[in-house]
Amino acid sequence: MRSADYVIKRLAFALFTIFMAITINFFLFRVIPGSAVTDLARVPNATPQLRHALTVEFGLNDSKLHQYFTYLWQLVHGNMGISYVNQQPVFPQLLNDLKNTIPMVTIGTVAAIIIGVFFGIVSAWRRDSAVDHVSTSLAIAFYSFPPQFLGLVLLILFAGTLPSSGMEYALAGVFGSVGFWSRLQDIGIHMVLPATTLCLTLYGEFTLIMRSSMLETLGEDYVLTARAKGLRNGKIVVRHALRNALLPIVTLVAMSLGWIMGGAIIIEFIFTWPGIGWAMWEAVSQRDYPMLQGGFLILAIAVVGCNFIADLAYFKLDPRVSE
Amino acid sequence: MSLLEVRDLHVWFELPNGTELHAVQGVSFDLDHGERLGLVGESGCGKTTTILALMGLFPPSVSVAGEVIVNGENILGKGESLIRDYRWKELAMVFQGAMNALNPLMTVGRQIVEPMELHGIASGAAARKRAGELLEMVGIAASGADRYPHEFSGGMRQRASIAMGLACQPKILLADEPTTALDVMVQAQILELLVGLSNELGLALILVTHDLPVVAQVCERAAVMYAGKIIENGTTEDLYHRPRHPYTRLLFATTPDLYDDDDVISIPGVPPRLDRQIVGCPFQPRCDSAFERCSSEQPALKSLDVGHSAACHLNDVPVSVTAKPESSPRNGQALDAVDGSDDGS
Repeated sequence: MRSADYVIKRLAFALFTIFMAITINFFLFRVIPGSAVTDLARVPNATPQLRHALTVEFGLNDSKLHQYFTYLWQLVHGNMGISYVNQQPVFPQLLNDLKNTIPMVTIGTVAAIIIGVFFGIVSAWRRDSAVDHVSTSLAIAFYSFPPQFLGLVLLILFAGTLPSSGMEYALAGVFGSVGFWSRLQDIGIHMVLPATTLCLTLYGEFTLIMRSSMLETLGEDYVLTARAKGLRNGKIVVRHALRNALLPIVTLVAMSLGWIMGGAIIIEFIFTWPGIGWAMWEAVSQRDYPMLQGGFLILAIAVVGCNFIADLAYFKLDPRVSE
Repeated sequence: MSLLEVRDLHVWFELPNGTELHAVQGVSFDLDHGERLGLVGESGCGKTTTILALMGLFPPSVSVAGEVIVNGENILGKGESLIRDYRWKELAMVFQGAMNALNPLMTVGRQIVEPMELHGIASGAAARKRAGELLEMVGIAASGADRYPHEFSGGMRQRASIAMGLACQPKILLADEPTTALDVMVQAQILELLVGLSNELGLALILVTHDLPVVAQVCERAAVMYAGKIIENGTTEDLYHRPRHPYTRLLFATTPDLYDDDDVISIPGVPPRLDRQIVGCPFQPRCDSAFERCSSEQPALKSLDVGHSAACHLNDVPVSVTAKPESSPRNGQALDAVDGSDDGS
């Protein structure tokens, strides 16, 4: 079976990549100067007894290899360690942060894909028209805007009208439970600025790539054949040009999705969005290594997972893919 | 009344610098039921442009003038939405190379069925059955319908696109260099297939090519194009044995003969640019028999015999252009150039 073989191969490759990421992550944090104990103690004059007690408690007196296998064993059981800052398990915290990041990033990215692909197609179809010129210039402008700058501009422009930080007004705590819909509305309003920033920084690239991919496809002989067959323009675009032109976009989206998860760090920082990017920024500034290590691992899984999905999508879309 | 009448067809492309390129300059010809016509000439002479214009396939940015009369109706005057009904149903097309004429993401069968459903010829299971039959007609197993173009060889892909061209039982098949990019054996098979189908189905064929032996093998009649115009039109017999235009004669002379040790001739120079006004005969700078009149006056296509016309001033003077003017210095130079390269081997 062509498809079963392919899926198994891709899956094995993805799992191996994640394993490599785990290993590199582990040793990366072990070769960084300073140990968990000196960071944790945070007190320059901690007694040797305290240091020793902590070293034993965290299992740091074992060999590196032993620690590595302990780490792997714990990971398999879903244990990413304890945060140095709040002494709570890392995994549930990161999971909660991820739950906040995913809707914001997804909405921003999906909007960027829809807008980008749509204007890319229109630009290519109406090449050299006013629509094409405006769309392409805007796309280049937004593509070259750094997200932090765009975020600040939006913040300055809309700070009065839209909430500029956080994920929801802190009403729930004060007035007891808030209804599901009003909470959703609350979060939605808070999401507007960060999601828009993300969408605008991404859509430019999608438009430009879609436009060039579409132009290339529209020049293919099979598109001319489709016209010669007597098909209507809409059918030609959708049935013959679009599917072929989308192939590079699938790769692009999948590759960017992975880093958007981490790349949203800047956006989450600007708008104080309590997501995984924000958590990692906090972990860096507080030297919370288990938290950071867990965050890196989740990002690695996100990147590899997105690429795996892209491989499957490509396989589904393009019959020529068999390897 | 002919099946297809093309009257004074013009095509202009607008260039980015604002000038216009007059790619096809008043082409007229007729095509009868079941007739096979070759459209011959060098690259850039307007052959492909002509047949694309026949189906109205140019975007609005390209200006097309003239008449393309199919069954007594001028389809060019009908506008995009009405001309669509004629496409593939009256005139179908087989493209160059066929490597890219099939959509890589659709099965071959699906692509053959597509125009049938569009034009209401057949649909569903009946259309799929017919697609299988068409594939068998061109020498591919019916099961090939479920396969993708990349699973086919070049020759099979060209066969499949011929099958696709026949899907709606068109009366005219336009074949644009259908055998380029194929090896000689496959070329011969494809040509044989086209001739066979044309005889069997009464299909009229316009074969665009720069390969004269192919035309001689396939077509009863040929039109030689140069610089956007038809400069000679006649039976392949007449064109080969009694050419009335130096370009036709030289074109035949460029074909190497297996049983003759005559040197291979090439025509020096390149066709003129079509974005400028041409004064005189467009072939004059490359012609081996040009005289004063050729540089000042453009010759018109004149009927010389029954079914034979040419655009050359030489036909007005009592000297036959079939005789090679050995004394012409221009011709001598051309032969010398080729001789030089041959001596080296």
